[in-house]
Amino acid sequence: MKAERPECRDWRLSLGAYALGRLDADQRAALEAHLDGCPQCRAEAESLDTVAQLLPLADPARFDHPAPKPAADLGERIAATIGAERRAGKRRRQRRRFAFGFATAAATAAAVLAIVLLPGGDQGEPAQHISFHSTPADIHIWATLEPHAYGTEIHMYVKGVRSGTLCQVFLRGPHGERVSAGTFRYRWGDDSDAVLSAALDLSRTRALGVRAGNRTFIAPVDSKGATALVKEEQEEAT
Amino acid sequence: MQSGALTRERDVREAYAAHSGELFGFAVRSLGDRGLAEEAVQETFLRAWRAGDRFDPQIGSLRTWLFAILRNVVIDLGRARAARPGVAEGGIEPAVEPLEEALLSWQVEEAMRRIGEDHRRVLVETHYRGRPYAEVAEELGVPEGTVKSRVYYGLRALRIALEEMGYEG
Repeated sequence: MKAERPECRDWRLSLGAYALGRLDADQRAALEAHLDGCPQCRAEAESLDTVAQLLPLADPARFDHPAPKPAADLGERIAATIGAERRAGKRRRQRRRFAFGFATAAATAAAVLAIVLLPGGDQGEPAQHISFHSTPADIHIWATLEPHAYGTEIHMYVKGVRSGTLCQVFLRGPHGERVSAGTFRYRWGDDSDAVLSAALDLSRTRALGVRAGNRTFIAPVDSKGATALVKEEQEEAT
Repeated sequence: MQSGALTRERDVREAYAAHSGELFGFAVRSLGDRGLAEEAVQETFLRAWRAGDRFDPQIGSLRTWLFAILRNVVIDLGRARAARPGVAEGGIEPAVEPLEEALLSWQVEEAMRRIGEDHRRVLVETHYRGRPYAEVAEELGVPEGTVKSRVYYGLRALRIALEEMGYEG
């Protein structure tokens, strides 16, 4: 978390309600005036906004259910299977057969869960259609990401915001860093896509975001390229 | 052998002790069936062990690697089930949402279980149930400002819990 200045404390306490759209117009305007002049609070607001966008994915009916536990003997069964496989000397053969598969599994780990990312450009990847699931019912955002040598091209179409609304588009990289893709204005009656670009490879892109007016929408992005590699290997292995 | 590689049976036992709960939780969420979920977790650790010398902690955490393998196993099981329609009959509906989204949903729900009860409760009442802050404050016997600050600290706690689970939004 960014260092909090003492004078920011009261503003900070409003950031949760702000991220969830629960401040009234006056409170919101006052807070946004502060955010305009305080990069630390702004960073905190953006970070909470990212979390707030994820809330609709969860079903509150499941919060009170304790996480299910596997059968008590599952660990032992796995250990027994592995022991038997080792004794049968299958391991060397298996390793040959699966070696490439797990190299790509590791690649998927990097691309999907994004601890580490694949280097270089990825022009071979197909374009990706991105879904924004956590938008309010009246706002729709469609976007396509295309890989290029220079980074990622973004086609975006927004519907449901006020005509003239400034939309700032950005990608998030592997470490949560924000790479700006530029801005456009939504105009009522205009059915064309906005075309933007950002200097971040699609394979390194974790999320696509758009700030429309004072609301920010974020959609996760995963790398289809790595998934396709794994599928190829699975077909080869069968 | 590099340190951290998953090449010995003891490594697998340790990895199982550390991560099987989460992996199983996500498998149940994705497959909608405890038996299949156990099968998925077993297959995940088997595949991880077979490819254990390929695991490089420099590239990513063991947890991340296991989840990536589980993700593939769940896809495979889903395909196998689709190829044998009779097997799924009468069973629980499998998850229809895309797997990435299922993982994210599960992570958010798991994060919600990990944060404090006070924080979870205000988020559920004010956000999911859409109740006014004042009404929730009265019910809890606290000032409205406290509800507001709990929403803030709750979201922060949620962010930290998600980061602990590997989410980097």
